[in-house]
Amino acid sequence: MDMGENVLRAARYPFLPEAREFVSKHIDLSLESLEKTGSEAVLKRAVERVKDALILKEVRVMPQHESNYVREMLSFPIAIILVSTIANEYIRRIYSLGESRGAYKRLLKESDEILLLIGEKLGVRGVMDSNNLIRIRIPTYLNLAYIFHEHRWKLVNRIVDKGYVWVNRMEYARLIQIEINNYVYEKTLETLPVTAVPQSFKEAAKTIVETWSRLEVARPGYAASEEKGGNPPCVSMILKRMMAGENTSHFERLVVATFMIAKGREIEEVVELFSKQPDYKYSITKYQVEHLAGLRGGGKKYSVPSCRTILANGLCHPDENCRGIKHPLSYGGKNARGQYGVS
Amino acid sequence: MPEANMEFLKREFFKYYYENLDQLVPPGPIKNREFGFFLDKSRGMLRHKCFINLDEFHNFVLNEVPLDIYVSAARYEDPSNRDMQEKKLISAELFFDIDAEPTVSESEESAWVCQNCGKYDLGTEDKCPVCNSPVERAEIVNENQLNEALKEVKKLVEVLRSDFGIDENHISVFFSGNRGYHVHVDQEEFINITAEGRREIVDYLLIQGFEEKRIMHLLKNRSFYSGDLKGIIGRIYRMILEAGGDKIPRNKRRILKQINEIIEEFKVKVDPVVTIDIHRLMRMPGSINSNSGMVKKRVRLQDLSSFNPLKDAVALGEGETVLRVKAVPRFNLGGKSFGPFKDEEVELPAYAAAYIICKGLGEYVRR
Repeated sequence: MDMGENVLRAARYPFLPEAREFVSKHIDLSLESLEKTGSEAVLKRAVERVKDALILKEVRVMPQHESNYVREMLSFPIAIILVSTIANEYIRRIYSLGESRGAYKRLLKESDEILLLIGEKLGVRGVMDSNNLIRIRIPTYLNLAYIFHEHRWKLVNRIVDKGYVWVNRMEYARLIQIEINNYVYEKTLETLPVTAVPQSFKEAAKTIVETWSRLEVARPGYAASEEKGGNPPCVSMILKRMMAGENTSHFERLVVATFMIAKGREIEEVVELFSKQPDYKYSITKYQVEHLAGLRGGGKKYSVPSCRTILANGLCHPDENCRGIKHPLSYGGKNARGQYGVS
Repeated sequence: MPEANMEFLKREFFKYYYENLDQLVPPGPIKNREFGFFLDKSRGMLRHKCFINLDEFHNFVLNEVPLDIYVSAARYEDPSNRDMQEKKLISAELFFDIDAEPTVSESEESAWVCQNCGKYDLGTEDKCPVCNSPVERAEIVNENQLNEALKEVKKLVEVLRSDFGIDENHISVFFSGNRGYHVHVDQEEFINITAEGRREIVDYLLIQGFEEKRIMHLLKNRSFYSGDLKGIIGRIYRMILEAGGDKIPRNKRRILKQINEIIEEFKVKVDPVVTIDIHRLMRMPGSINSNSGMVKKRVRLQDLSSFNPLKDAVALGEGETVLRVKAVPRFNLGGKSFGPFKDEEVELPAYAAAYIICKGLGEYVRR
């Protein structure tokens, strides 16, 4: 593999270690020097990355981006700086989703060899077996796959042997996507020395915030909720709409029902929550809630969708208590004291 | 607990710890572990304790003679910090708890105490015949129940080895000292699994969220060579093929019923909460369990079949001890059978006396 190919790949996947290396080796990434070196084009591309994520929920990387590889590689750390400057939980999350989603789509087009190489570089090591399935270590799998709530991702439904679990190509790319999402998100949480951010960056960040408000994602009430152990904002907002008699989507109802069941609410209590829905019928709702609780059908209890899934469905409105959590059930539990037991 | 009882227990525990201090070694590194203690029964747990080295820990144990000693399965950067987040988790051993389920049949094997009016007797009463309030049952676990738990332990070890690929050297089995078994896994990759990932392991062991339709699909197509199919799915699929012989049941409800029966047989009955709780304190290996006076004892994997908890985990001395007992069902300990006793003064070896006192069924009189 020649240098050119490596560089193009680093531009296509700027979170790869080699991209980071390239950036640190070739370019002085201190904020002052960036300001000086006339990096207007880089800043512009960085803004584009975040706006892609906000508007399309996917950061696009076209051939023309790749060919301008220095700008492309640099734009990623700059975009991270912009997002962490804005310090808004929703923008952090949607940006990580956008980067990882874009990468997922590009990964699917790669050869097996490159797909596995990228996985390995990102710590999701896989080995292609003769049956065209990829085997990965169980701990690696568990730390990524729990985020999916479909039953097929549960370890109990997978082929498992001697510490390995088998996934297909597409599933493997999905796991890498989660790893990228986590990586980008963690990066945006790193704190910057606020005073060091150059004026041009602040202006760029402002245009991102403007785009965001134009998308009407901005809503009042972003202050951290006082009540610990209360419902996360995604659930509260759906509940509020339900109480007002607004018709809610299938997915919204699923979130509320599975969440309340997981919190240990009685079936009747959960059913009651839906009583103001325009299409409410007691018997049908009860049946459906019982089904979700695993009391009917195959006896499967449905899990609460993860933050990622809720975000992807446009229902994530995080407050400060959401910081760092990946699942609505973790909300408010982070700093809860004295809850731990002994055996 | 009456003072005489407490003094007796502390004296016996002290003797044991003094003689067996070398057995009392927490998992390392000691400075990264959180410790917890019950110093007496009336006070809550003393937790967030931390020791710099083994000597300091041993001195604490000999000075305070705790009734129970716990250590975190987790390693922390700052284990004595009272804020769980601020402790800064490094990693945590996988920890499984399998308890024997008490199934009392004969009245001789059970006793009860009424916390309301103080009445007590042998038997399987649920409510006090005098004041009608619910009674507290004395928890006596017998060999059969412990054997059932041990069967689950063997199933667990097998799944950990064959499915999870965990090396035998990284699986430690302990008798908890009272009702069941603890299994610790300290293999490098596995100690970094998140709480959510551990939930998946629990679901795997308990076979929760299993998709029967996969089995249906396999049965319909028979495309898969069943030997290639590893893990729970493979095991269930092969069982159905074997049970059916040439005739594979076609009736969907019958297959579902069969699957559920197989799941019941294959599932490993671990306590889910314990494994998922990454910050859990576990009873310290080599320490005495104050619910029984027995010790949390390591069982080597090759000894699982020959291990006799009610004999091998007896820790305290044989010294004759006089005890006034209320009502004590029959129990086996140290290879001997004791009881049933009622309203009598009995002379017993110290380990059996401690057992009765730990169960709250007797009072120490004299040596």
